Amino acid sequence: MADESAATPKSDPIKNPVGNTAAQKRKQNAVSVGKERREALFRTKRLCRAGVSTDTDIPIDDNDMMIEEEQSILESQTTSAVQELNLAISFQGKGAVQKKVNALRELRRLLSKSEFPPVETAIKSGAIPLLAQCLSFGSQDEQLLEAAWCLTNIAAGKPEETRALLPALPLLIAHIGEKSSVPVAEQCAWALGNVAGEGDELRQVLISQGALLPLAKMMLPNKGSTVRTAAWALSNLIKGPDPKAATELIKVDGVVEAILRHLRKSDDELATEIAWVVVYLSALSTVATTILVKTDLLQLLVQRLSSSNSLQLLIPVLRSLGNLIAGDVYTTNAILVPGHEITDNIIRALSKCLNSEHRVLKKEAAWVLSNIAAGSVAHKQLIYKSEAVPLLLQLLLTAPFDIKKEVAYVVGNVCVAPAEGSGRSTLIFDHLVSFVRSGCVRGFIDLVRSADIEAARLGLQFLELVLRGMPNGEGQKLVEREDGIDAMERFQFHENEDLRNMANQLVDKYFGEDYGVDE
Amino acid sequence: MMMVDNHLQTQTQLQSEFQYWFPVLRRFGPDDPFFASGNIERELLAKQIALDLTEEEKQELRNLEDEYSEVFCPIVGCGATLKSLTDFEDHYNARHTSSCSVCSRVYPTSRLLSIHVSEAHDSFFQAKAARGYPMYECLVEGCGVKLKSYKSRHQHLMDKHNFPSTYEFFKKSRPSKKERMKKIQRKQKHVAVSADEGEESSAMQVEEETLDGLVSAVSKLTTSDSSPSAISFGRRHTRGFTFVPRAVQRETKK
Repeated sequence: MADESAATPKSDPIKNPVGNTAAQKRKQNAVSVGKERREALFRTKRLCRAGVSTDTDIPIDDNDMMIEEEQSILESQTTSAVQELNLAISFQGKGAVQKKVNALRELRRLLSKSEFPPVETAIKSGAIPLLAQCLSFGSQDEQLLEAAWCLTNIAAGKPEETRALLPALPLLIAHIGEKSSVPVAEQCAWALGNVAGEGDELRQVLISQGALLPLAKMMLPNKGSTVRTAAWALSNLIKGPDPKAATELIKVDGVVEAILRHLRKSDDELATEIAWVVVYLSALSTVATTILVKTDLLQLLVQRLSSSNSLQLLIPVLRSLGNLIAGDVYTTNAILVPGHEITDNIIRALSKCLNSEHRVLKKEAAWVLSNIAAGSVAHKQLIYKSEAVPLLLQLLLTAPFDIKKEVAYVVGNVCVAPAEGSGRSTLIFDHLVSFVRSGCVRGFIDLVRSADIEAARLGLQFLELVLRGMPNGEGQKLVEREDGIDAMERFQFHENEDLRNMANQLVDKYFGEDYGVDE
Repeated sequence: MMMVDNHLQTQTQLQSEFQYWFPVLRRFGPDDPFFASGNIERELLAKQIALDLTEEEKQELRNLEDEYSEVFCPIVGCGATLKSLTDFEDHYNARHTSSCSVCSRVYPTSRLLSIHVSEAHDSFFQAKAARGYPMYECLVEGCGVKLKSYKSRHQHLMDKHNFPSTYEFFKKSRPSKKERMKKIQRKQKHVAVSADEGEESSAMQVEEETLDGLVSAVSKLTTSDSSPSAISFGRRHTRGFTFVPRAVQRETKK
């Protein structure tokens, strides 16, 4: 779910009552983000605070008084609310339905207004069986909605709290069918999304209970928050590690068409959730990848990457591209052919990401470029001549370590021709000489010095290219000047034998007895 | 015009061991740590308004990933854990760069440094070694074994501690630029000079003899040839040898 209160300004006290007191308290007390808050934030579950948007006549609660933040009071109120619900369910007289709805509404408010909803208390008081009862077939929409909302927020909690929803799952799944009203279906989908976000075990349960197909169908309409919620829930459901769900999803009638349609026309928020679905489809399922690359998906993704400025959208779009390129050589060989417009566009868009201020975009864009650079010589030439090069050089020297490493892969891949059997790799002199003379060696020596084994190996491998390929001993002089010999000698006492050997070989071969004799 | 290097493989031994750079497609599973920061960013962006996150909090959360990326110092026997790569650099410079005051060689621990000093600069050590006492300590801390020669210690390291044959405690020296120039001048001089002087110069040339040659020469030293020598393999910025073992001189003069 991209953002449930995106339409509401932060200052609106009715729609965002948590905002003010909570923020003040936080600023008064701790400076850093507490552990519980952090954990809640990083979960792929989402609390429902303002309800699913609706244009039916289910009344929105406008009695949103500020909730008492005091935890113990909150807990006792919750216990009472559950007791009330219990009574309301047993009640058989006139107005029974309204009684139930009121009790549900009270519980729902307690579970959606405070910063840390009293989920544990609710469960301990026996809320779940009661809520499941409220989901029985034939119940009024309002009742279904409130019950599903409560379950959604219980499921947004800790692992054991999410697991507590097990008895209610089949009912939730039943209510996301076509016969349900739209808000009810959406709220149930939200709850299921939280359950799926908990972990693989629960995902398998949901899949075996048949959650995939109805959720997929919810993604087919043109617009609406329901489509968005369903897409988010699906991304949680198929994220694996088992690729079966992803493979099943791609085969559902209308899904591929819907994905393309949404990426082509929808607003950023919906496109974001759809893109995440594509991320998981392309990361996990070769079947899905094969199908998707034959559509104009890549075109659409490149377009979004070029035109959007929304970080939320750029991340999954970029990653989808990366997965499709890494997952199937068809992408680089048949679609991103040098000379085609799409190829120029993607390199331009990737350069835009390299130039972004966002670390994630820089790192993953470099990764994608490195895979394109692993293609044919023509691909390497294309990158070599593009606007990406000055950006890459700068990043190699100044960027944080993880970005540096990815950029190193790009540069090295551009300088080495595709593998042709065994033996030494084949250099592309022009590229190597140009990069080296632009000062990239220092960046690689930084990698050699690092404690990261993969980075050190990369650095040594590139130094080998420099020492072997630069004419007239230029490589040796450069490496020596940048303290490269020192960096390589460190490996003498390094615990990794491969690196020790590589470093020794380089020093022995290029800085041995004959070094400097022919000056 | 683009040129491509097409050298055929020549030195098979060297080439077969070095892991050359080959471009490959790199793919990551969705849960790979590589994607972690992107995943965190997704959740941060989705929940920031609801949770009213400040810019500082967001930045702190983004940096959390760095906190969890611990680094282990890879120097043999160290085992230190550092919080980040920059911390590692500091740690390395503080702990693993003990340098010898005589020849400026750098060692990663003070124990190895002191072993080096004894073996390379201490005539007492050489005297005892020449008399056949086992003086060459095993480099692995805690082992305690002592061997009679550099070579046999090397063998012990390979046999008992799985060190590779490439592990050289005394790394061959690389002559500095000044030394390289001197060597070139000397070579040029010798060409013009008679065979007689050639003998003298060959002794001088021993200064630049390979490590293996000297090591094997040293290990052939017997108690009767007891002239201790300070085997000093200077680093590139220091002076070369001042003293050469007589046994070695004798060998090369033939």
